[in-house]
Amino acid sequence: MSAETLALVLVVVTALGFDFTNGFHDTGNAMAASIATGALKPRVAVALSAVMNLLGAFLSVAVALTVTNAVVKTFDTHATSAHAALTMSGDRLLEITLAGLIGGIVWNLLTWLLGLPSSSSHALLGGLIGATIVSQGWEGVNWVGDGTKLDGVVGKILLPGVASPIVAAIVASIGTFAIFRIVAGLALKRVNRGFRWGQVCTASLVSLAHGTNDAQKTMGVITLALIATGHWDHLDAVPFWVKLVCAIAIAAGTYLGGWRIIRTLGKGLVDIEPRQGVAVDASTATVILASSHLGFALSTTHVASGSIVGAGIGKPGAQVRWSTARRMVAAWLLTVPAAAIVGGTMWIVGHLFGLGVGSILEFLCLLAVAVYLYRRSRHETVGASNVADAWEIDQAAPNVPADLVSGGQR
Amino acid sequence: MRDAFGHDVRLALDAIWKVLLVSVILGAGLPALFALSIRSLASGRMVIGRVAAGVLLLIVVYAVVSGLLFIVASGQGKDISFAHVIPQISAAS
Repeated sequence: MSAETLALVLVVVTALGFDFTNGFHDTGNAMAASIATGALKPRVAVALSAVMNLLGAFLSVAVALTVTNAVVKTFDTHATSAHAALTMSGDRLLEITLAGLIGGIVWNLLTWLLGLPSSSSHALLGGLIGATIVSQGWEGVNWVGDGTKLDGVVGKILLPGVASPIVAAIVASIGTFAIFRIVAGLALKRVNRGFRWGQVCTASLVSLAHGTNDAQKTMGVITLALIATGHWDHLDAVPFWVKLVCAIAIAAGTYLGGWRIIRTLGKGLVDIEPRQGVAVDASTATVILASSHLGFALSTTHVASGSIVGAGIGKPGAQVRWSTARRMVAAWLLTVPAAAIVGGTMWIVGHLFGLGVGSILEFLCLLAVAVYLYRRSRHETVGASNVADAWEIDQAAPNVPADLVSGGQR
Repeated sequence: MRDAFGHDVRLALDAIWKVLLVSVILGAGLPALFALSIRSLASGRMVIGRVAAGVLLLIVVYAVVSGLLFIVASGQGKDISFAHVIPQISAAS
């Protein structure tokens, strides 16, 4: 097996690993509210979300090959053949992709251990940015685009990242406020049953939209690696097996359920009840769909978190645990730089030892970190049985090993 | 680079207010309609209440189905128009 083939295989495996973490990291975006309000039993919720993600992934025929191009100048879209369009050698592209993916996975696993929802796309793009900076220099990164459309680090990451949680919070708070005014005085028991139904429908929509958007990103990365090694030559299509394995990976991840993150979103920010749950899920669904219609690339995680905070603001007398919200915002700010540091470091490791040996070393590093973080998570587990337990008042993070949470006002 | 940054901010603001407007109307308006339908169902007047609840619920279901169609259409790389009440899917422009 040549070094190039070996690297390609490792890129594909790592990309699927990323897709898997993407799945469980984002289960909470669609399902946290339904689980918290009791609209769905935890196991049923993650199963429903997994099926919707699987369907969504297969629905997407449109190709997100441009996902890497948004931040890394990987190919020239005007070229006629896929291989000729690459702006760098295939080996170089493989090195950057592998290092970038590892940066994304490590950040996803760390934030999962800490029970912090953060954007998986930002983590992936951050890893790629870091690997590109050390490999191609500052100029290799597409920072601001060319001014004709929203593009680059600023247009695809920074601005949507700031705006989307605020927009979602405004929408959900208006929705919550209206609902509480309208059903004021009605018997709660009866009202709640109706609202739980509404929640299940909207949460399914969010899961479906997630499947179409996020599985596509991994499909794009794998296809790009295939183009780089000359195994594929279409810019507008994805091999069927790539679509199949990506769909399965994201659905399996979703079914695993990122219980730590679901707990933070569903219980840690606001004590959601069914009336708020409908407002949360309706806001998340519309903001995601409206933005994707307008080509505004936002993160499901930011929207879902913003909606939940909005439901807390909109309910008269409700309380938002701002300490949890602050921790989440800190994680969002750190996502791109932290993943970039890991991605850059991995690229250096890989480059020092050459494509073949270097890729194996990088992969072993990733395995070591993943095993370590998984073992840490076993100290205090969160699962379907305790995900919706009451949030303790001074709890800073869900069942995080105490030595990982230090200082600060809880 | 500075120029391009300004462009990005302007393009983003342009998109953001549209997203906000649409989302407030649909994302907050539809749950409100849903709440109204629950309210009319729970009101003492049986027939009028049920009819009103049914009509309101139909509007909400229409919106949810439209959202579903939108996801399917954009996944297939197609455009979808809601101009004629019944959503119409066409090849991407």
